Amino acid sequence: MVNGLTLGAVYAIVALGYTMVYGIIQLINFAHGELVMIGAMVAFTVINLLAAAGMPPLAVVLIGTACAIPVCMLVGYAMERLAYRPLRQAPRLAPLITAIGVSIILQHLAMLVWSRNVMAFPQIIPLTSYSFLGAIVTGVQLTIVGLCFAMMAGLALLVYRTRLGTAMRATAQNPQVARLMGVDVNRVIAATFIIGAALGAVAGVMFGTYYGVAQYTMGSVLGLKAFAAAVLGGIGNVPGAMVGGLVLGVVEALGAGYIGELTDLCRYGLGPEARCADGGHFVLFGSNYQDVFAFVVLILVLVFRPSGLLGERVGDRA
Amino acid sequence: MSPVLLELRGLEVNYGGIRAVKGIDLEVREGELVCLIGANGAGKSTTLRAICGLLAPRAGSVRYSGADTAGVPMHELPRKGLVMVPEGRGIFAQLTVEENLFMGAFTRSDIGIAQDLEHQYETFPRLKERRTQTAGTLSGGEQQMLAIGRALMARPRLLLLDEPSMGLAPRLVAKIFEIVREIAAEGVTILLVEQNARLALEVASRGYVMESGEITLADVSAALLANPKVREAYLGEGAG
Ligand SMILES: Nc1ncnc2c1ncn2[C@@H]1O[C@H](COP(=O)(O)OP(=O)(O)O)[C@@H](O)[C@H]1O
Ligand SMILES: [Mg+2]
Repeated sequence: MVNGLTLGAVYAIVALGYTMVYGIIQLINFAHGELVMIGAMVAFTVINLLAAAGMPPLAVVLIGTACAIPVCMLVGYAMERLAYRPLRQAPRLAPLITAIGVSIILQHLAMLVWSRNVMAFPQIIPLTSYSFLGAIVTGVQLTIVGLCFAMMAGLALLVYRTRLGTAMRATAQNPQVARLMGVDVNRVIAATFIIGAALGAVAGVMFGTYYGVAQYTMGSVLGLKAFAAAVLGGIGNVPGAMVGGLVLGVVEALGAGYIGELTDLCRYGLGPEARCADGGHFVLFGSNYQDVFAFVVLILVLVFRPSGLLGERVGDRA
Repeated sequence: MSPVLLELRGLEVNYGGIRAVKGIDLEVREGELVCLIGANGAGKSTTLRAICGLLAPRAGSVRYSGADTAGVPMHELPRKGLVMVPEGRGIFAQLTVEENLFMGAFTRSDIGIAQDLEHQYETFPRLKERRTQTAGTLSGGEQQMLAIGRALMARPRLLLLDEPSMGLAPRLVAKIFEIVREIAAEGVTILLVEQNARLALEVASRGYVMESGEITLADVSAALLANPKVREAYLGEGAG
């Protein structure tokens, strides 16, 4: 449960990047997961260097994150400027395919820069754990959840309380009229990519730190899960992405916890006797099937409630 | 006579191969209320879109406040006081009424914004009652008031109104024209596009008549109202 909440919070942050971009230009930016990966890789590189130099852990992580954020913002901006902006007037399939292309390019660039090897997070953070409402919570989990909620609150303030945020929502609804009001739509769209990328960078560092590893492929599955979370909440809907991420994380954790038990054929008297004797198990799907849940959820949502949990009507913005 | 604020010379606008505006001349002087009337599809909206930069002219020029607008980024024009209320109102349905009004003042950063907001609420009390509602929940008439109030939040020098009375009940149409008259009385220059030719000519001092992309008549309102061709084609009266 705590594990699910932690991962869910990270999914939510990544999902925000998908949903904000979709909301404003109706593009599913498949390369967003790669931004998250780049964030983790840059941070890990810096963190390993600094840790080897013997700096205090907190400073190491902070500096690592501080380096990852601008790099991701730059990549996010470049991606919008070079790949998507020229296709703004093109049929929707063109930018979508381009997004997949950008994703592949970034992944391979990352492979060239950082190699295929897994980068490990140095053992610098002491494992402290607390007992909280009957659950065991580690310091890392607390920090991640706290940070994610702070970022979500910050983003909500930005989107719903500032001039830029209002301009973003106005542009999402009707870019032509937003331009009539004097909004530089290109700048607003670029800002959306940059903000999403910054969030993604932090999410990447958190995700990498949580699992202790980072690799050039980590963006694909994480990205797809966050996309599933965005769809679950209602793509284009900012609060939806937050809720979708948290729900997905918890469903996944609970699912992973119970799926072994539920698919234990011995429970139903169906397993081979040799295995089931003396309370043995014959499990069809173990917790390594955890990743499947995100996609089962995605498919269920698409079939039964395409507009998502906080359903904004699909096709609202023709 | 007051100086020319808007001047179109030989303006041509195409949609792909369709010639929607075929080389028109039009001018609006500072402080004037001028109307542009014509049947559906005549090219009125296209003309307004070209003035505010939504469409690029194929030929000819748009001069606003003495300078050619070619090459000026569209989002710079509201800052210079050129503001349009688009056909169909174009309100932001999912923003609140108040957020819509603030969007009108997007290019401004002066301290007069709050005061102007109050002023809009005085003019349109319904908007004040509904300030926290999303604009999509407003009735058609209220949405038109919002669209006009939002444009006024930019403190326009030249206001382009595209069919503000479209789709409204007669009582509301009269109210909208009254508001247009008030805005003009406050010193805002207005170019009013309308299909309701009679009401438009009654508020405007001068008018242009547009037919299939061309200006066919231009005169003071009284003369147009008396013109037999106009009476027959646009005022719903039989010839003679
Ligand atoms: N987006 C568009 N694409 C192609 N043709 C258009 C478009 N908008 C308008 N037209 C055509 O241009 C002509 C003028 O249209 P418009 O300016 O909207 O007329 P009006 O506002 O006077 O009713 C019409 O023939 C119309 O069909
Ligand atoms: Mg029109």
